[in-house]
Amino acid sequence: MDLFQFSRAESVAQAVAAGAESPTAQQGAQVRFVAGGTTLLDLMKLNVERPQRVVDINKLPLDKVERTADGGLKIGALVRNSDLAHNEMVQKDYAVLSQALLSGASAQLRNMATTGGNLLQRTRCVYFRDTAMACNKREAGSGCSAIGGFNRMLAILGTSEQCIATNPSDMNVALTALEATIHIQGAKGERSVPIHDFFVVPGSTPQQENVLEPGDLITYVTLPAPAAGSKSVYLKLRDRASYEFALASAAVVATVEGGRLKRVRIAMGGVGTKPWRMVEAEKALEGHAVNEGTLHKAAEAALRGAKPQSENGYKVELAKRCLMYAVKQATQAV
Amino acid sequence: MASIEEVVPASIIGTSLARVDGPLKVSGGAMYSSDHNFPGMLYAVPVCSTIAKGTITSLDSSAAEAMPGVQAVYHRKNIGQLFRAAPPVGFSGLIDERRPPFEDDVIRYYGQYVAVVVAQTFEQAMAASAAVKVSYAGEKPDVSTTLSSDEKPKVDTTRGDADGAFASAAVKVDETYVTPVETHNPIELHASVAVWDGKGFTLYETSQAVGNHREVMAQMLGVPLENVRVISRFLGSGFGGKLWPWPHCLLAAAASRNLNRPVKLVVSRKMMFQNVGHRPLTQQRIRLGATADGMLTSLQHDSLNHTSILDDYGEGCGEATGYLYSTANLRVTSGLVRRNVGNPTAMRGPGAVPGLYALESAMDELAIKLKMDPVELRLKNEPKLDESLGIPFSSRHLKECLTVGAEKFGWSQRKAGVGAMQRDGLTLGWGVGVCSWIAARIGCEATVELKADGTARVACGTQDIGTGTYTILAQIVAEKAGIPIEKVEVVLGDTKLPAGPISGGSWVTSSVIPAVADATQKAMQTVLMAAVQGKDARFAGKKPEDLVFSGGRVQVKGGSAETSVAYAEVLRAANLGGVSGTGKSEGTFGVPPKVSQHSFGAQFVEVTWQPATARLRVNRVVTVIDAGRVLNTRAGRNQIEGAVMMGVGMAMLEHTTYDQRNGAPINSNLADYVVATHADTPQIDVTFLDYPDLSLNEYGARGIGEIGLAGIAAAITGAVYHATGVRVRELPVRIEDLLGGTARA
Amino acid sequence: MADEKQKAGSAEDSGGAAGKVTRRSFLSHLGAAGVAATASPLLAAAPAAAAMPEASEAASDAKIVGSVPVSLRVNGKVLKLQVDPRATLLDTLRESAGLTGTKKGCDHGQCGACTVHVNGRRVNSCLSFAVMHEGDEITTIEGIGQPGNLHPMQAAFVEHDGYQCGYCTSGQIMSAVALLKEPCGPTDADVKELMSGNICRCGAYPNIVAAVQQVRLRS
Repeated sequence: MDLFQFSRAESVAQAVAAGAESPTAQQGAQVRFVAGGTTLLDLMKLNVERPQRVVDINKLPLDKVERTADGGLKIGALVRNSDLAHNEMVQKDYAVLSQALLSGASAQLRNMATTGGNLLQRTRCVYFRDTAMACNKREAGSGCSAIGGFNRMLAILGTSEQCIATNPSDMNVALTALEATIHIQGAKGERSVPIHDFFVVPGSTPQQENVLEPGDLITYVTLPAPAAGSKSVYLKLRDRASYEFALASAAVVATVEGGRLKRVRIAMGGVGTKPWRMVEAEKALEGHAVNEGTLHKAAEAALRGAKPQSENGYKVELAKRCLMYAVKQATQAV
Repeated sequence: MASIEEVVPASIIGTSLARVDGPLKVSGGAMYSSDHNFPGMLYAVPVCSTIAKGTITSLDSSAAEAMPGVQAVYHRKNIGQLFRAAPPVGFSGLIDERRPPFEDDVIRYYGQYVAVVVAQTFEQAMAASAAVKVSYAGEKPDVSTTLSSDEKPKVDTTRGDADGAFASAAVKVDETYVTPVETHNPIELHASVAVWDGKGFTLYETSQAVGNHREVMAQMLGVPLENVRVISRFLGSGFGGKLWPWPHCLLAAAASRNLNRPVKLVVSRKMMFQNVGHRPLTQQRIRLGATADGMLTSLQHDSLNHTSILDDYGEGCGEATGYLYSTANLRVTSGLVRRNVGNPTAMRGPGAVPGLYALESAMDELAIKLKMDPVELRLKNEPKLDESLGIPFSSRHLKECLTVGAEKFGWSQRKAGVGAMQRDGLTLGWGVGVCSWIAARIGCEATVELKADGTARVACGTQDIGTGTYTILAQIVAEKAGIPIEKVEVVLGDTKLPAGPISGGSWVTSSVIPAVADATQKAMQTVLMAAVQGKDARFAGKKPEDLVFSGGRVQVKGGSAETSVAYAEVLRAANLGGVSGTGKSEGTFGVPPKVSQHSFGAQFVEVTWQPATARLRVNRVVTVIDAGRVLNTRAGRNQIEGAVMMGVGMAMLEHTTYDQRNGAPINSNLADYVVATHADTPQIDVTFLDYPDLSLNEYGARGIGEIGLAGIAAAITGAVYHATGVRVRELPVRIEDLLGGTARA
Repeated sequence: MADEKQKAGSAEDSGGAAGKVTRRSFLSHLGAAGVAATASPLLAAAPAAAAMPEASEAASDAKIVGSVPVSLRVNGKVLKLQVDPRATLLDTLRESAGLTGTKKGCDHGQCGACTVHVNGRRVNSCLSFAVMHEGDEITTIEGIGQPGNLHPMQAAFVEHDGYQCGYCTSGQIMSAVALLKEPCGPTDADVKELMSGNICRCGAYPNIVAAVQQVRLRS
């Protein structure tokens, strides 16, 4: 780890000003905000992140969960994962978010990790994490070692010739199904980005993972008011029974009316280069009764574009089962 | 009036005891190697090669040397002379990677140490280690996982005509089983804290064998044996990976000597996958021939394992094969295949654990072919003696392990047939496997001091690696001297102490009993001498042989109890601070055995399978162990439960993967090499049969550290087959193996 | 640092092995809880170890380039430290403050051996810089209880044999003590899930869960 200058931001403006001095907010940033530290320290120890300046934002007043005027929820960027998971409003109206958070990492890490930090959690691809290996995400143009390498855990959706790294977050999957909005304070002012647009697929620039610019600070996340009568579920499949990243996971928010799925939102984790919204599967299900036939159709639609690698072809079938079972759970079919 | 017998405490051998070192362990007071800090101590961080095969063409440490706090960067040209260890004799002089670090510029495995940075702080050393520039002429490494031997495999044991009997057998199984590279991953990182005092070393090492460690380090550092002291008071376990020294030990010691400062080197978790051994990849072909009614007529076990380029490590997969079942025709062979990997080393239950996965899987497959209950098949082929050696077993109760286990598990309710058992919407799978492990003693010395303050102290240069050795020694002294266990201080893990056994092979308990008992008896005898000598002696005028030492007290033989005197009082009367006795016991190795000494057991497993989510979990385990007398049942049960947990990991999770292109162990961390955690814990029911094996020691203890990991993987894969119809012959069982199973969603 | 002091904490009786050093004279602030002075297992009934006498100044211990001051409250005592900003809370506790009860098992948040409490909540001290904890209340295993005065959770671990090698034990106990105040269902499965961030390679899981459940039932 390189020596860095450490400072504490006393205000959002101060943090933004410090961040704006970095040429990039993406891989290779020279200024990094630290909140929980669970991703940043991990990567700094590996020399994957080498900031010259680390700005502690923990004292900023961004640690509240509040109702919004329209009945939604406003979650401060510094709200810890454990606090968010146990928040009564979240448990009541956004069960999928609570479940996703509690399925992630460990109790200790959830006490540290923040909402904003988890949005920026980096991939677990072993080649990204090892500076002795080629990785386009870490070092543009160096190549992708994961293609043809150890890729059992990696993505089958949204990949490119340049990168097949998975977004590892559970929270992000739930936020995607909940159609969250990310609120950002930047050097040029405030803006809001729907979560779907916040993350970008690797394409030819895998070092770019989201739309953040230098100086941008995620301040809070908002959720729309819960759909009346909706039920939500997070299902995570993995080798170990706990404390492990997903092989496949699914977040489902569903409203059943008159025996048919009136509205459904599905996002999946463990399979995409970003939290993956399953729009085709939603279309295949909405307006229909939930049965084996419609579920299979939805699962097929969801994974139609899947591109398996040398070791992760199983994820196509696993993701289908994950999606089908989660929809069944959310629609109380099981 | 109490008689002397009534004040003797009830025996504490074979009871359930809290560990004597427990309070230290729960309060952060137990000192592990890397907990030792010294004035002026420096921090060493190795630089690891980023190729697996080739040569170093240049090494530039100038930038690193210029960094803040850096005291030195050592490499081949400046570390100073390091030697190879002499060939081993018995259990001394053992090391698995014989080449001292930096001996040449050739790279033979990924992560091999090429330099070491020493700095004022850990942070500085870490930063500088990344700044050492090394160039290589790399070649394509061979880390292939398909093994074929160039050399003729070695025949380990043979009898009858295995080929002929197999050819003519009515029912046959011929399958190949693969166990992957497993990494020990004790949670304590390997570490060395080296303190050079100008002529000698005090080395705080993560060692399962301080005596061997000292001999090897003295040879490799080129200093007299008496100038090296090795200390390992507490070990954050090792599972075999910390039996022998590894190259980092030399780096820390050499740096300390060169800089005349204490040096701490803690191996990183990543290096734990590269530089400190692993259980090798094994590939095992099992051929079983049987009669139609299930009598084994032929058994062949041909195993290969990978080893490193320079050193030979044979896993010995056929360890238990020769004596486990009765069959007139048998052949066990083994061979080595070289790969660009660090040298493998013993991992908990070496040989038997992967070997019994293969053999017991094949037995399960045979039972299915015979349409026979797998428990019945094993009962049917129980031998009357050790057929490989032609000698009787000292104490074998495998049949009882199977029948007791079957009863406790409810095996009679089993419905054969894939997916035939359901509960709560889940498919159940039941499996069984038997286990066995060698029992032996190795040479041991111990000193016991009985002190005038009423306490006792027992010292032995063995180690407690988490198995409960501190408590065992305290129990033996307490039992022999008849004093409360709280009064016994135990000192272990130091080469200044009488030479004790290596913490390997599950041999410590059986080895220390005779030596500690002997030492206690001698100390007690000296108390009797003190009781009669001198004018102030409490029993002046008597002869020692007129007295007895019992229940911590001395009295005249046949005399009344009220005349007994506490030994502490005897010593005080004689103005003695304490008296000591040294005991010694011989090992069983090197002597032709008259009886076959092994432990046995049976493992019964239930898995649950949910096809809709491809979720497979080990739900319930019943284990019955025949390991002689278990001295402390609380710690003993813990050993078996822990081994079962490791077995869950072995069967379901663990697999070190090497990148075929660059030879790196690529999942070299605890998030990508997952071991079982709390949530993976099944319900575990452990039973000890408790038949003392008096051929080994007076209490009949055989040792239980390893046996619980044998047989469990086969029982799990058998249960997986029962639930899913998928026979996994290459561990671990993975979700992808099951998605195509017959029991689809 | 001109005012640097060293202290012998753990000393073997041979020459050269002088004992534990700290960068400042912290141990007197920490009291007995900060010192683990003996490897003797006889301590089951012994009082907490006494602080070792002061040793001489470490002439060789030069100032750390780039270091910054930080003030931590550890086990109720204020520690004023000069640390490398890169130093994790874990390494600071172990290497600078002489509190070696907290263990390093992976250094990447993958094992839980380094678990401590920060402001009453359990965290992985390996993934936090010490400089981030100015003014925070930090509790380590040494502050939970000592032989002769064990916390009920520590006593339950001894009673249930909730360990083997003992290396992950500090982290297990720190997690278990924190769990007592966290939302957690009544069953063993609930406890297992919430303890899963603490890996025990020895596999003493059944006994650890039994210890935790015993303390939960009694409290």
